[in-house]
Amino acid sequence: MFRSLAHYWRINLAVMLGGAVATSVLTGALMVGDSVRGSLRDLTLDRLGRITDAVVADRFFREDLAVELGSSGEAEVAPIVILRGAAVTDSGARASRVAMIGADERFAAMYGDDAGGLAALFGERLEGQLFPSVVVNDSLRRELGVEVGDSLVLSFTRFSYVPRDSLMGDKDPDDVLARFRVSLVEVVPDRGVGRFGLSPHQGTPLNAFVALEQIQRVLGQQGSVNGAVVETLQGTEAGERALHAAVGLSDYGVIVERGVSHFDVASRELVLRDDVAAAIVAAAAEVGAPAMPIQTYLANTIVGNGNLLPYSMVAAVDPLGGPGAFSLTLEDGSTAPPLADDGIYLSTWASKDLSVRPGDTVEIAYYVVGPHEELSTATTELRLDGVVEMEGLAADRDLVPDYPGLQEAEDISAWDPPFPVDLRLIREEDEEYWDEHGATPKAFVSAATGKRLWTTRFGSTTSVRIGAVPGRGLRSSTTAFREALLARLDPAAFGLRFRPVRQQGLEAAAGATDFAQLFIGFSFFLIVSSALLIGLLFGLGVQQRAGEIGLLRAVGYRMRTVRVRLLGEGAVLACLGAAIGVGGGIGYAWLMMAGLRTLWLPAVGSTALYLHIVPASLGAGWGIAVVVILTTIAMTIVRIGKVPPPVLLAGSTSRTSRRKGRRLAWTLALSATVAAVAMVFYAISTGALSSPGIAFGTGALLLVAGLSYFAAWCRGGRKRGMGPGSGVLVGMAARNSSWNPGRSMLSVALVGSACFVIVAVAANRQELGDELMRRDSGAGGFALVAEADVPIHGSLRSEQGRRDLGLSHDDSAVLSRAEVFPFRVLPGEDASCLNLYRPEKPAVLGVPDELIRRGGFSFQATLDIGDAGAGDNPWSLLNAELEPGVIPAFADAGSAQWILHVELGEDVVIEDDFGKPARLRLVGFLAGSIFQSELLIAEERFLEHFPSRGGDAYFLIDAPWDEAAEVSRILESALGPFGFDSTTTRERLMSYKAVEHTYLSTFQALGGLGLLLGTVGLGIVLVRNVIERRGELATLRAFGFRRATLVWLVLAENAFLLAIGMLIGTLSALAAVAPRLTTVHVPWGSLLATLGVVLVVGMLSSAVAVNGALRVPLLSVLKAER
Amino acid sequence: MVAEGLKVLDVYKSFDTGEQSVEVLRGISFGIEPGEALAITGPSGSGKSTLLHLIGTLDRPTRGRIEIDGLQASTLPEPRLAHFRFESIGFVFQDHHLLPQYSVLENVMIPTMAFPRDRRKAEARARELVERVGLSHRIEHRPAELSGGERQRVAVARALINHPRLMLCDEPTGSLDRASAESVASLLFELHGEEGNILIAVTHSLELAGRFQNRLELREGRCFEA
Repeated sequence: MFRSLAHYWRINLAVMLGGAVATSVLTGALMVGDSVRGSLRDLTLDRLGRITDAVVADRFFREDLAVELGSSGEAEVAPIVILRGAAVTDSGARASRVAMIGADERFAAMYGDDAGGLAALFGERLEGQLFPSVVVNDSLRRELGVEVGDSLVLSFTRFSYVPRDSLMGDKDPDDVLARFRVSLVEVVPDRGVGRFGLSPHQGTPLNAFVALEQIQRVLGQQGSVNGAVVETLQGTEAGERALHAAVGLSDYGVIVERGVSHFDVASRELVLRDDVAAAIVAAAAEVGAPAMPIQTYLANTIVGNGNLLPYSMVAAVDPLGGPGAFSLTLEDGSTAPPLADDGIYLSTWASKDLSVRPGDTVEIAYYVVGPHEELSTATTELRLDGVVEMEGLAADRDLVPDYPGLQEAEDISAWDPPFPVDLRLIREEDEEYWDEHGATPKAFVSAATGKRLWTTRFGSTTSVRIGAVPGRGLRSSTTAFREALLARLDPAAFGLRFRPVRQQGLEAAAGATDFAQLFIGFSFFLIVSSALLIGLLFGLGVQQRAGEIGLLRAVGYRMRTVRVRLLGEGAVLACLGAAIGVGGGIGYAWLMMAGLRTLWLPAVGSTALYLHIVPASLGAGWGIAVVVILTTIAMTIVRIGKVPPPVLLAGSTSRTSRRKGRRLAWTLALSATVAAVAMVFYAISTGALSSPGIAFGTGALLLVAGLSYFAAWCRGGRKRGMGPGSGVLVGMAARNSSWNPGRSMLSVALVGSACFVIVAVAANRQELGDELMRRDSGAGGFALVAEADVPIHGSLRSEQGRRDLGLSHDDSAVLSRAEVFPFRVLPGEDASCLNLYRPEKPAVLGVPDELIRRGGFSFQATLDIGDAGAGDNPWSLLNAELEPGVIPAFADAGSAQWILHVELGEDVVIEDDFGKPARLRLVGFLAGSIFQSELLIAEERFLEHFPSRGGDAYFLIDAPWDEAAEVSRILESALGPFGFDSTTTRERLMSYKAVEHTYLSTFQALGGLGLLLGTVGLGIVLVRNVIERRGELATLRAFGFRRATLVWLVLAENAFLLAIGMLIGTLSALAAVAPRLTTVHVPWGSLLATLGVVLVVGMLSSAVAVNGALRVPLLSVLKAER
Repeated sequence: MVAEGLKVLDVYKSFDTGEQSVEVLRGISFGIEPGEALAITGPSGSGKSTLLHLIGTLDRPTRGRIEIDGLQASTLPEPRLAHFRFESIGFVFQDHHLLPQYSVLENVMIPTMAFPRDRRKAEARARELVERVGLSHRIEHRPAELSGGERQRVAVARALINHPRLMLCDEPTGSLDRASAESVASLLFELHGEEGNILIAVTHSLELAGRFQNRLELREGRCFEA
């Protein structure tokens, strides 16, 4: 066997190299997958340093909590403030999506020596440095075009405990936005600490680091932070336990204020969340203390008997009775009984002021805040059930929380509340009351009435009054209550939980897209071509030994013995070739990774992707390749075994079975044609002519038909049109191509299929045109899409709102011609193809009712959920009532399929504001939409589950298309400090399409490479044909055909096969995409270049092969004595 | 010696086998006039086919001259040599070397395609020859559908399509049964008589050689009149 291998070393070397190519491509593709995963893992470890976990909350908590966590010995902890915002330079350069990180030495220590650049933050200011120091990463420096010494302004959300969406929340842009002028003192590279970020994304973040103390001061949050990065020493669970032990009520924003006989439990947010209020009541019950929930609200007016009482507090409470702090006393000295739902008590002062008596009707007017913070006034009429003495509960100022802008005012006229106040209504009596009693309530309603009138998504309790436990002192009762309450509150429900960011990052690094699979797909034709090449080369080798095989068979060797012998040789070649190919695979993968970093960068968005060699993949690639190569060789051997010994002895390895299969070919050709025509008729009748599925199906049928017609032509039929004269060469070439129908078919089928896929795929590049203006397009008819880093409170839809946001009259006039649809945003990971990591917590948008009513966009599929989603507008599905805890959601079809890997009807589970799982059930898939990065739920559901998400941070703008640029300019200019960034929907869609197009280009390039290799195979087919036909060719020479003529004849034959294959493949593909040619962008240039290169290389390789083959002295063939 | 016809003058042919040179033909000389027929016989390896290929200009002598109608064709450059073969020489091989993908008619016409020719005239001539070799009923058949004798008849017709001055046959009946061989031999002589060309055949068959008026025997590279 080894002597045979050595004797036919040339052809065996070629087989081995063919095997090496196949192995290289296969192993290389596997390694691309490993490399992308490995690079993403590296990026995760790089950006996190020693950080294993992170606690990042939507609220500020004690910095000491971090210290206490660290002192537990379970973890190394670095408290941080992390905010998102914008940066602007003096020259006007602006960057949005900037991560502002307030850090100290503890944070820098997480990165060891790599964080040396941050040291500049912690020292003294440089000489002449006017502003506090900032260190930025190189990406942000480039984005802003700044140098060390320059100053810039950072703007970000100023934290407010009071929800800005609530009545008492401050929405003034100057209060919402914190602006912080800083001096750039150092630039850190885009690695290590420069790449710091807690969400997995391969893109480099824009990071600005400032000293923790500085940012705390700017925010007015001295001693508080909103995050901590942790290196757990004993694992995440141990860290969680330490957190539970260290956390205090103040970290939850819960305040306990002790009175003389009771203590009040309130919230720094002014309103206690319902779950917290329930926990307080339960904790009080647990320790045996009486608890009385209280809700206070501001009545704009209380009207009775024709008189008006302005701006009065009303308390909703069910007095417990007993001591004064828990009861109301009627004028007659009796304890006031519980109120009915339509009843009200007024204080003696108020009843006197209004001149009303029990039984009279009292009307209360109060503000109601709409979902977009729009204020409206509601009124309710109540029956006066009694007048209470101003003592005990009725004289208690502590019932009312410290409303900002009110409580600290000397008098009512000095109020500065975040809502409009008509100071003209304020009378002398009111000022006197304010002076004497402050914000003490003037009216009382039942707790049920309060809930009915004033419940917001933030809660319905402003405080809970708790008395001492019977038999125990107030101090001891308070302590017992605190412990009971702490035990009942879960830190996770307040966002205080250990997020194992390193583990999550490493898991997400497995990637949304399996690049190994992707590149095996891209390299499919390369692999098939290599396999074909191996088969042809091995066949060529066997052909050289046809006589030997024939002889062995003639002298009595069993075919099985011959096969085993050949297979043994094949196995040696396969193993050696695959081993060489493994090395080539490393090179191939390196090349592909270089391609991803450069040519195909839009698909991956990171230049930090490098080759990673995983031995297991090398082994797998080698093993799979050996199987593929051996299978190919075995197929060749099996074919040889069917050739009769006399034919083999004559030096041929092909049987002449021209007619065989001709009928089958005709049947297939006609059936495929009929099926293709039927499909076109079906498409026309159903209006689905441009459906990709139908188009591809029709094209594939046409391809089968074309190839079958060619097969039928090859396998028989009298072919006319040949004879002396011009063009005879072409005619002869065409006829000769049917000399070995099997080989010719193989060549044409390979070239045809490759061309079909390459052209069909290339013609799938969708061009975005005027159809975006249509409501059923991926842009929904919207011209602009915008995002803000700092959520915007206030309405861009109204003149007043625009003015409040600082837009000029003229600008507002331009905007009045546009309709803005604002969305709430739950920040999360990018769910689109722009993110290579697998998103665990995708971003969620709250879709406003206006958009649900408007409809638009097109859906690939919707879930049938009965009557709930019935109607013409699929958006109404978002309002469907599903089982408890399940929220109807939409996703973009592409993101769901390729990135999130979820099906219609499946749930994506995320954590809500209360630390509970929110199950987002996918009830609709949008087709090619601008919503590829997020999931969509109805705003109403959004607010239920994420009430803390105030303001709007995502906007769709239905502007006249010719004014889109102007609208964008105005908004970006006015709202720049909010990090407002608008882009056309076309650009947004194109950014997603760029990924798709890059993948298509990759496929086209690698498919073209495969096709190229296929043409080399074609050359080998040709050489084999020439060898088998050398007698025929020698005869032609004997009759006067020149050698050059014969070379041209054979080349024309090859060109014919190549051209037929390319023609069948290309025409079938173009027929498939014909109905969509107006909406797709066919890259004719690169496509024709690919096909042209294939044709040229095919002809050149054939010329070399044929030239070599015809150099063999033909004379000997003609000699009778051989 | 004659001005027209074939003259072989002191022809030597040797082949390099790498380390040494093997002299196959050693000073072969003879002449033959148009209308004459010559059989070349000899044992295997005596150089019969080599001599035939030298005459047919498929190969060049190492030394000596071969003149056909006064022209020393071996000195012509390749393109002109090919044209010379096209116009002057017709071959019949032991292995007929018919092109399997073409019909009988097309196979006969193949030599006309090496250089531009009037297609209609060529086809008429081919049909005439097919008829002449008795295969009109097989004119559209392919070689695979013919018997060995029929294939060789097609090869004979093909050799005559361009009215060659020299008709060279290399073991024309070597692979045929006795009856077919007889039939093909008769056909060769009939057509030779009709065309008036020079017929040279290399054969082992004493029976076939016996039908030629001139016979030459090759032994160890030298020729002897038989």
